[in-house]
Formats: sequence, C-alpha cells, structure tokens
Amino acid sequence: MWNRKRANSLLMLEVLLAFVVLFAVSSLGVSLWGNYRTPLGFAYQQVWAIDISTPGLAGRAPRTEALQRIGQHLRATPGVLCVTRHAGNTPFANANNTGDVSTGTGPDRRVVEPVNYLDTGPELRELLGLHMQEGRWFDRRDEAANYRPVVITTDLRDALFAPGQSPLGQTIQGPKDWHETWRVVGVSGPYRPDGALHEPVPGVFLYASAQDTVHALNGLLVRVAPGAGAVLEKKITDDIRTLGAGWRGTINTLDEQRLSQLKVNLSLPVILGVVCLFLIVNVMLGLFGVLWLNINQRRAELGVRRALGATAAAVSRQVLGEILVLTTFGLVLGLLIAAQFPLLGVFNVKASVYLTAMAIAAAGLYLLAAGCALYPSRLAAGIQPAVALREE
Amino acid sequence: MATTPPSPTAQPRSFSQAASSAVPVIQLRNIEKIYQTKTIETVALSQVNLSIGRGEFVSVMGPSGCGKSTLLSLMGLLDEPSGGTIEIDGRPVASYSDKGLAGLRNHKIGFVFQSYHLINDLSVLDNVELPLLYRKGVGNTERRRRALAALDKVGLNARTGHFPAQLSGGQRQRVAIARALAGDPEIILADEPTGNLDSVMGEEIMDLLLGLNRDQGTTLVMVTHDEQQALKTQRLIRFFDGRQVA
Ligand SMILES: Nc1ncnc2c1ncn2[C@@H]1O[C@H](COP(=O)(O)OP(=O)(O)OP(=O)(O)O)[C@@H](O)[C@H]1O
Ligand SMILES: [Mg+2]
Repeated sequence: MWNRKRANSLLMLEVLLAFVVLFAVSSLGVSLWGNYRTPLGFAYQQVWAIDISTPGLAGRAPRTEALQRIGQHLRATPGVLCVTRHAGNTPFANANNTGDVSTGTGPDRRVVEPVNYLDTGPELRELLGLHMQEGRWFDRRDEAANYRPVVITTDLRDALFAPGQSPLGQTIQGPKDWHETWRVVGVSGPYRPDGALHEPVPGVFLYASAQDTVHALNGLLVRVAPGAGAVLEKKITDDIRTLGAGWRGTINTLDEQRLSQLKVNLSLPVILGVVCLFLIVNVMLGLFGVLWLNINQRRAELGVRRALGATAAAVSRQVLGEILVLTTFGLVLGLLIAAQFPLLGVFNVKASVYLTAMAIAAAGLYLLAAGCALYPSRLAAGIQPAVALREE
Repeated sequence: MATTPPSPTAQPRSFSQAASSAVPVIQLRNIEKIYQTKTIETVALSQVNLSIGRGEFVSVMGPSGCGKSTLLSLMGLLDEPSGGTIEIDGRPVASYSDKGLAGLRNHKIGFVFQSYHLINDLSVLDNVELPLLYRKGVGNTERRRRALAALDKVGLNARTGHFPAQLSGGQRQRVAIARALAGDPEIILADEPTGNLDSVMGEEIMDLLLGLNRDQGTTLVMVTHDEQQALKTQRLIRFFDGRQVA
C-alpha cells in the first residue's frame, strides 16, 4: 500500500499546502476575534469628540484659556453631562501617540514599548466610565504634585513591575529625551482607544490640570445625555463660533468613528480572507484531482478486492482511511512548521492564538480532506468486481 | 453471517451432502452474455444451461475466445449475465444484496484468475491473506497462519516477503492459487490454473486440486487446455463459440 510513493507524496504536499493556508487564515481570524472579544475598557456611547480650531491665537496660554472658556460654557449647556480636555488621540480617531516607559536604572531598568501616552483632564474617568483597579484616579491633590501624576493600565503595570510589587507611589520615566519623571497614583483596567480589532496596547494616562498650558490642548471630549442628537450638536458648534472670532468646533460621535474605523480595519483581513479562500478552493480542486486520478489508477486493484469479497462499503472505507492516514502525515508535517511560529514568537502574537489556530486548521483540514475524498471514495465503491477481469 | 465459514482443519463436506445433494451448488439457466462495445456486439455465451453438483470436479475446454472465462466469471459472481438466471445453492443470485454477494464471493468461492490479478503493492503473503481480510472474526495471527499454510501447499513458503513483480509467471500463478485456497472455500473456480506451469509443477497443482476434491469435498470448475488433466476430472464440458457442445 505504501509502495505508491510518488502519488502519496503528491497527496501529502497538497495536504500540507492546504494546512498552511488554513493555519494562516485561522491565526489571523483567531487573533482578530480574540481582540474583538476583549473589552474596550470604556463606554463610548453618547460621547462626542470636539475638535476645536482657534485660528489667530498665538501660543499655548491663550489656547488653554480658549479651551477653558469653551469647556466652562459646555458644562453649563443643558444636555452636556461631562467635559474634559484631551490630546488628539481620542478613541477611534486613528491617531496615536506612543513611546516607551521605563522604571529603575542600570541593570534593573525595565522598558515597555510601545505605550499609549494619553494626555487628559481629571474628568476622563467619569466621562468614559473607566474602571480603577488600584489606587485612585486624578483629583485636586494632583495639582500640587512634584512629579506629574499618572494612572497606568493593568497591562502596563504587569509589564513594568514585578508581581506583587505595588506600583502606587512609584516613579516611572517617560521617553529619554523628554527627561520627565511621573508618579503612579493609580492603576486602571485595560484601555483600548485604538479599537476592537487592534492589538491591545498598554497605556499611561498623563494628568493635565485645568491650568496646564502644555498638554491636552487638541480638543474636548464631552458626554451628553441619552437621546441628545443633532439639535445639541448644532447648538454646540454655533455656541463655539460665538465665543471667539473664527473659532470652530467639529463634532464626531465616538459611535460613528468606531464604525468607520472598524470598516477600515476589517478591509485588509477581508481581502486576505478572500484570497485565502481562493487558495483553499484551488488546493481542494488539486486534492480532489489527485484522489480521483489515484482511484482511477487503482481500478484493477479495487476490482480484485471486490472479487475476493470486499463489500462496496469496505472499499469505500479503505479509500477514505488511506486518505485520512495521508492527511494525518501531511498534518504532522504542517504542525511541525506551524509550531515554529509560537516557538519563535513570530509577529508578537500570543502563543495561545497560534495553538488555537493549529487546532482549528487541523479540524478544517480533516473536514476538507473528507470532503474531497467523498466523491472519489464513492467512485471506488462503485467499481464492479468484473473490472478485475479486464483491466491489468 | 450468511454461511458458516469452514473450519481450518476442514472436514470432508460429504457429511452434509446427502441431505441436499439434489440441489446443485451452481445452476445456470438460459444464460446469455453479450459484450457491448461502441462498434460491435460480442455474444460471449448463448443459451447455456449447466448445473454443477456438490463435490463435483468439472473441467471446461474449448478454443480461445469461446467464452470459458466469461462462464467462470458469471459462476464466480464477478459479472452479471445479459439474460438467464444463476442460482447458488438453489437461491437466485439476483436476490442477493451487494453485501450478500460480497459474502458469497468471500466465503463460498475461491477464484483463480487466468491472468492472476495479484496486487502489486502487496507482498505475496498479504496477497494471499486478502480473502481472509474481508472475513469477520478472523484475527491477524489466524489469517497469517492460514495464508502460510496455503502458500505451503503450492510450494511457495520461501517467497512470502516477495512482491509479485519479483516472481516468475509460474510463481505468480501459484500465489493466485494459494489465495483461492486460503479462504478454504466450498467452490474453487480456476481459469487455466496450470497454464503457466511446467509439466511437473502442473502435475503437482492438479494433484492438489484432486486432493481437495477428494478429501474435503470441494466443488471445482477448472478451465484447461490440457486433455490429460481434463480426463482426470469427473466431467468434461466443451464449449464452442459461446455454446456448450458436449
Ligand atoms: N470485456 C469484454 N468486452 C468485450 N468483449 C469481451 C469482453 N470480455 C470478453 N469478450 C469477448 O467475449 C468472447 C469470450 O471471451 P472469453 O475471455 O470468455 O474467452 P476464453 O474462452 O476465456 O478465451 P481464452 O481461452 O483465450 O482465455 C471473446 O470473443 C472476447 O473477445
Ligand atoms: Mg479465458
């Protein structure tokens, strides 16, 4: 049976190819699905990002003042529940500001990169419904602090501090050329402003007080009352225009931004998925062809088996069994290749993603092989014993 | 199981013959076999009426192309007639399911093909084991033992690990005979089983078949071109151009 080396190695190659494609698709799928299932860590409904332009204002102090005035006005506007200053990297904005964060010095130095730098006012926690895990969020105490107060996310804490070591009160360093030292006042849950499909990135919330003239000057985030819509949007943009000459506010709801970002982030995987589907169909046709050819070359043998008392079902089982054995050999080869990905940590993807993808790809491979083998095995079952008399 | 498999140390079957000796093992009624190809229609058999009694040893002779192999393949349930009925132990073959037919081919009949039809990818021993592979309740060691015993009978026990391509024509023929014997069938249908053997070997195989018929009551139908051999059997049937002439 195992003398048919050439036909069998061809089959195994097809199986291997199918597995590689399935593994690639599954890895991508599992990774995206895992990201999608991970909570964003904040509530984006009824939150609007207001991009504010104040042409003609030179310098940061007047800009700060303008944002303060607009903020105060909005806080007094009915329907607006909460307002905070924010840098340009508001959730789903496709804008980011990342760099490294480190602790310790010399050989004890630990560096994490990338980390999302999130310059924001003290109202953000309430506004986005962030969850605190340890310590506290920003408050009045922070106005007089020597080091800039920060809240880090759990994933940053876990990467930066040894297990059991409390980060509270510890100082951490920002990027080298900034020469900034920050003091951790609290730890929040994961925060994923880059959206559901993006790999989670550790984050550090950097405190910007009301008087801060350096950070968080891009615009405002506001939480509005449920049901607030176009009317409030118009009122806010109109009001901003009246507050200063040439001032303008552009409102994007986080809901809309989330959807448009999702569409953009999904397009590449969808294209890849379609390409892989074509590849799989191709491989399947190849597999089917090889199997079909294989059965036709073995008509005499199968006829002899029938003549000696094999039932149609036994012949069909034999063919299916042989294919499943070959599939298993191809699968083992494929798994050896696939195992390199988690072992070498390729693409910075968690090992569990690759392991799940391997399991899915293996299951898919058996289904695929069984699917391709179904018709050839029925063909084999249909071979009459009289064939044994004629063909040689 | 439709039929009880014969025990390995087969007893003479004459014991049960008396009760059913009236019913032929194989009965052909008005058999026609027409091979239809695109251009021509070959009448391979026409109006064949034949009954083979239990424990009989029948030889079939006739010129090349007269339909001998066709006749044997119909008796061996490898092909279906174009007309007429075949009965095995009095039961029409058409009434069997695919599974039932497979069971008959496996348990009841041993077939020696004119051109051997060994499976090239299998060793000699595996080839001989094949009929037992499709028989329920025969374990690995038992299968091996019976296959080795059959190879021993045809004098080939030294070549069990060879592949068919490594054997001479005569040796292949003997493997084919051993394969038919391995299942210990009630009926052996042999298509020129000594056609490729030298006279000494042919003689030995003929003695083996005669011994099976005599000692175990095996029913035998053998196609041959050798008058001497045919004379040793109980009945000689002659065919000419698809018809039985004697
Ligand atoms: N599969 C087939 N298709 C068409 N014609 C066939 C087929 N098998 C046999 N024949 C024809 O049927 C006739 C009988 O063939 P068969 O093989 O039974 O002859 P035979 O008596 O066994 O001859 P030989 O002694 O040469 O083996 C021949 O004319 C042959 O050409
Ligand atoms: Mg013939």
